Amino acid sequence: MLAIETVELTKAFGDFVAVNGINLKVKAGENFGLLGPNGAGKTTTIRMIAGLIKPSRGSVRVFGIDVTRERREALKLIGYMPQKFSLYEDLTVEENVILYARLFGLSRAEAKERARELLKRFLLWEFRNRLAGKLSGGMKQRLALSVSLVHDPRLLMLDEPTAGVDPPLRRKFWEFFRELNKEGKTILITTHYMDEAENCNRLALMSRGRIIAEGTPREIKRRAIGGDLVEIIAEGHVRLRAEWVKSVEKRDGRFLALVDDAAVRIPQIIRELEGQGVKVISVAPMFVSLEEAFIRFLGD
Amino acid sequence: MQPVIQEGVKRGFRIIPIVEKEVKQLIRDPKTVLMVLAMPVLITIMFGYGYGGKEVGQFPITVVNLDHGEGSYKFIDDLKNSRMFKIEAIYNTRGEGFASVYRGEVYSSVVIPPTFTEDLMMGRVTRIEVIYDASNPQMAKIIMQAVGVVTQLYQEWAAERFGTFAIKPVFYTVYGPSVSKVENFMPGVMAMILQMVPTSLISVSVCRERERGTFEQFIMTPITVFDVIMGKLVAYFGATISDAALTLVTAMLLFDVRLRGSFFDMVVVSTVFLLTSLSMGLFISVFSKNQLQAYQASIFSFILATLFSGFLYPVDVLSPFAQTVAGLIPMYYFIEAFRAVSLKGWTLDMVTYELAVMMLFTVAFLAMAMKFLKLEVG
Repeated sequence: MLAIETVELTKAFGDFVAVNGINLKVKAGENFGLLGPNGAGKTTTIRMIAGLIKPSRGSVRVFGIDVTRERREALKLIGYMPQKFSLYEDLTVEENVILYARLFGLSRAEAKERARELLKRFLLWEFRNRLAGKLSGGMKQRLALSVSLVHDPRLLMLDEPTAGVDPPLRRKFWEFFRELNKEGKTILITTHYMDEAENCNRLALMSRGRIIAEGTPREIKRRAIGGDLVEIIAEGHVRLRAEWVKSVEKRDGRFLALVDDAAVRIPQIIRELEGQGVKVISVAPMFVSLEEAFIRFLGD
Repeated sequence: MQPVIQEGVKRGFRIIPIVEKEVKQLIRDPKTVLMVLAMPVLITIMFGYGYGGKEVGQFPITVVNLDHGEGSYKFIDDLKNSRMFKIEAIYNTRGEGFASVYRGEVYSSVVIPPTFTEDLMMGRVTRIEVIYDASNPQMAKIIMQAVGVVTQLYQEWAAERFGTFAIKPVFYTVYGPSVSKVENFMPGVMAMILQMVPTSLISVSVCRERERGTFEQFIMTPITVFDVIMGKLVAYFGATISDAALTLVTAMLLFDVRLRGSFFDMVVVSTVFLLTSLSMGLFISVFSKNQLQAYQASIFSFILATLFSGFLYPVDVLSPFAQTVAGLIPMYYFIEAFRAVSLKGWTLDMVTYELAVMMLFTVAFLAMAMKFLKLEVG
C-alpha cells in the first residue's frame, strides 16, 4: 500500500517552476526523508501533498485518495506540521489542541481528553494554561506536533520540524518520530540537516524542483560516489588491479580505494595486498556522510 | 487512545469551536476591545457636543424685526426668556429670515411686522409670522406650539398694558434641508459606528490568519468555506452588537435624545445593517492580501458611504448620478430606515423595502466571500 503517490507533480509560480515533475512513492509505514537545500522545492511539494497548494500539473494520492478531488477525506488521514509555527498565539496550549480536536469532529469532552493525552506525551501538560505565543521555540514545536496528531492520522508530514531547535532537543524529537513510526504511522519529513536524514528508511534528494536521487541512505551514498570507499593503511605502495576496483588514491598517508561493494571486497583486498608482500595495518569501510554524497550529486 | 473521528459530523459542530476561538481572540486583544467599546461612546459624545449637546431643548431660530418698537423688543425678550429658543440672529428684512430657514441654518424664523407696536397700542388685531421648515414636520409642530405659548404669555402682558386686542400667529412653510441637531444626526452617527467598527474589525480577520500563517494549520482540518465565513460572522456579530446598544444608550443618557421609534424596532434595523457591514468586511478580507490592504479598503468603502448615503447631504438634493451611486450603498438604506423609525416613529412594516435591500446586500457579500475564499496557501 502506498501512503503517498505523486505522478508528474509540478508547480509553477509564473515563470518559476518550483517543483518539476516529481514522481514520489512512499510506502505505508516508511520513515521517508525529503532532503535538499533551501529553495529546492521541498515545502511546495509537501504543501501539494497536503492539498494546501493546487498542483499546476500532475496528481497526488494519499492512501489512494486523490487529494485535489477529495481533499476533506484525505485530511482525515494526514497530520501536518508546517515549517513556520502556525498555531494561535493568543490561545493557550490546551485551547489550541482542543480547538483542533473539535475541528476534527471530536466532542468537547473527547477533545479535552485527547489534549490531555497528547500534552502529557509531549511534555507540555504543565504548560497547558500558557499562551502559545509565550512558549519557547522547542515548546512551540512540541505543541505543533501535538496538534498535528489530534485526529490520529496515518500519515504524518513534518516540514523542517527541527529547524532552529538546539541539538539535544533535536535528538529528543527524532526519538518521538521513531516512536510514532513504530506505532505504524508513515512519516514524511523534510530537512536540510543531512546528519538527521540518516534516521530515515528512505530518502529523496531534491534540487531545483527535481528529485535527483532516491533510495536508502546507503544506496544514495553508493550511487553518489560510484561505489563504497575502503580506507587502507599499509606500509608500502598499494596497487590494486581488478575490474571491481574503480580507483585508488593516496591521501594523508592512507589509501582510499573505490570498490563496488565493501563487504565483499575487503577480504579480497587484504589477500591481494598480502600476496604482493605489502604489510597491511588496517582495511576498513570508510564512512561517507550524506552531505558529501549530496554535494557530489549536485556537482554532476 | 484511538479518538473517534465521527463521519459526516454536522456543520454546526464545526462552527461552534470556530466561534469560540474567534471570540477568545477578540476579547484577548486590548486594542480590539477598546475599539469596540470606546469608539461608539466617543463618537456619540463628539457628535453630541459638536452638533447640539446639552442644548437639545432649545431650537435655533432667527428673528426678523420690522417694527423696532417697544412691543417688538419685549416679544424678542420673551422668546429668549422662554428658554425654548436660541436666537441665532436678528434681521431687518424678511428675505434674510426666509433665507436662514431655506439654507437650513435654523428651524424657523419669526417675523414681527412693521406695525406691531402701533397695532398693540391701538388695540388692533395684529399678527406674528412664523416661517418654518416643513421638511421636518416634527420640529415644525413643536415650534408652532412653542411660538403659540410665547405669544399667549405675551398677550397677557400686553392686555394689561394696552387693553384688549389679539395677536394672531401666521405660519409660512419653507422646504429647507434638515437642521443640524443631534437628533437628526443620530441616524448618521449610528450608521457610522455600525459600519466603521465592524467592517474594519472583521476585514482583517481572514487576511490576518494568512499573514500570521495560522491559516496554514487551520485549513488542514476538514472545515468548509461555509464554516470559516459563518464562524467569523457569528463571533464578530456577537462582539459588535454592543456597539449599536452603546451608541443608542449614550445618546439617550448624555444628550437627552428623544427617539420616537420603539427601541425594539431601532435594534432590528441596526442589527440588519450590522450584518451587512460584517458581510462587507468579510468580502473585503477575502480579497485583501494583507491587513493593511484590508484596512484601506474598509476606509475607502466608509468614505464612499459617507459621501453618498445621505450622511452628509440628503440624497434628494444630489445629482442623478450621485443618487444612482447612493442606491448601491447599504448605508443609504440604513439611514433611510433608521431615520424613519427613530425620528418619524415609523414601524418596521413601513421600512420593509430598506430592510429587504440590506439583507440582499448581506447575502450577496457572503455568497461572494464564500465563492472566492480558497482554502489554500501561497
